[in-house]
Amino acid sequence: MSEQNEPRYQVLWPLSRRAVRETKAAARLPDLNGKVVAELWDVIFRGETIYPLVREYIKARFPEVRFVGYEEFGNFHGAREHEVSATIPDKLKAHKADAVIVGIGA
Amino acid sequence: MVEKMGLPTASIIGSGFLKQAEVIVKGQGVPLAIGVYPGAPMVDSEAELRRKVEEELAPGLLRGLTGEAPREVNAATEPAPGQVVFSGTFDDVQEHFHQKLWTDGLPIVPPTRERVDAFLRFTDRRPEEVLRAIPQEGREASILSIAITGVMAGCRPEYMPVLIAILEAMCDPKYRVEDSGSTPGWEPVVIVSGPIVKQLDFNFGQGMMRVGRQANTSIGRFVRLYLRNICGFRIPPGAGDKGSIGQSFLVAMAEDEDSAREIGWPTYGEDRGFKAGENVVTLHSVVAITSPMYSGGDNAEVHVRQWADVIGGSFTYWAHTGFKTGLWSPLIVAGPSIAKVIAGEWSKDRVRQHLYDNIKVTAERTTHHARMTSTPTFSLERLVRDGILPPEYAASGDPGRLLNVIIKPEMVEILVAGDPGRNQSRAYMSNHVQGPPTSRKISLPANWESLLKNQTRKN
Repeated sequence: MSEQNEPRYQVLWPLSRRAVRETKAAARLPDLNGKVVAELWDVIFRGETIYPLVREYIKARFPEVRFVGYEEFGNFHGAREHEVSATIPDKLKAHKADAVIVGIGA
Repeated sequence: MVEKMGLPTASIIGSGFLKQAEVIVKGQGVPLAIGVYPGAPMVDSEAELRRKVEEELAPGLLRGLTGEAPREVNAATEPAPGQVVFSGTFDDVQEHFHQKLWTDGLPIVPPTRERVDAFLRFTDRRPEEVLRAIPQEGREASILSIAITGVMAGCRPEYMPVLIAILEAMCDPKYRVEDSGSTPGWEPVVIVSGPIVKQLDFNFGQGMMRVGRQANTSIGRFVRLYLRNICGFRIPPGAGDKGSIGQSFLVAMAEDEDSAREIGWPTYGEDRGFKAGENVVTLHSVVAITSPMYSGGDNAEVHVRQWADVIGGSFTYWAHTGFKTGLWSPLIVAGPSIAKVIAGEWSKDRVRQHLYDNIKVTAERTTHHARMTSTPTFSLERLVRDGILPPEYAASGDPGRLLNVIIKPEMVEILVAGDPGRNQSRAYMSNHVQGPPTSRKISLPANWESLLKNQTRKN
């Protein structure tokens, strides 16, 4: 069949609308001294080694920073993901967290 | 979530996951500050890990908290749902869709308005109805999107009620569709139950899991295409699907319900809590499949013992992921001739109990498996303390103690299907809490019978 005789197809967009409300990034904290940094960990990929090293690095630059360890928040991924995630906002407020480190996606 | 609370957040991401992070950022509409860990932390020495954290990851995290705020997500303007976006010959359409990453590598049926409308006639629901903003791209799982994907996958219009039920199951938060791109590379299998199995000509006999019968094949392909296009799980050159090796789509499964009834076992649909005669779809993740399980003999125990042997040999390694989450399910496709012998003596529950009692792993081996995979801190004792595993998993500190690989007998699923002329079964392993068995009743349109009759005449 020559291309001239071939039928032509008008095709619909195969995806669907993104239903996402954009959120602005929170203001950053140039000085972490006196601030509280909370840790959230999904209990995989050697976080038990990585988080202490990160803490050490940040403390060396901001000695007055305070960390709230990941143990306080529970595993936000896995068996109790939905329940644990639901408790995180209140726990962050209770600990007066100013910033958060989340991991580990690897 | 945390950034939405107004708290500056920095995320630890492995360098191989940056593209997936971009997809998630767009899907959640939240800018992300990232500290990058180069490579895979599970294979680095202690010294290498320390160096990478100090030189790259920690500085990145610190910048993420103290430096410039991450850039806002600016999603590109997109067409409206149902809009004609291209016109061309069959080959032109294939090429266009291929370039846009809208295919699975196979030719698609061009989704024209007429073809899509034919699918929409097989539902009483409005095309613009949205089941959920579905992860991971946060797109609307609309009735229209189901019809378009069904056309592209090569489904027949009359499959539409099944396709909608599949999406209803997929949209259940407990199914965790957002984990469809996880590195184990699990694949959903659709299990169809009820009279619709025969009405739509599903293969539940010899070769049931082969590509070749239109209902089984095109519905299996539909699931993979939907995950790719609407949910956003694409392998390179796309992004979002991080299955390290992955597997091909699985054709839809259906039960030989006549055989199940004949031997006196409840059907799979009834096991899932539905009434006999109801049409049901179940989605079930599959991360591993046993070799064919051949068994011979005229008594129940010899067959079920063989199943325990093969299932234990195939699935024990990965059971640690189920231990971490308190859930995994083996789905056994029991050959009709074997099921008949077993059912002559045992109920399905007795089969479940036997498998539960006889598939074992030592605490030391499963801990080793978990540590090798992703979790150096794996602890059965902690899982018991947290209520994720039953107390017997921490009954003693003996590393040689035997644990049940199957956490609870009721987690074993059994379906009768396959070649009645051979003595073969097979088992499929779910990926812990990712894609657990999730069922939905299939809702048929009010005029189903006449629609089906007319469609059959056209076909």
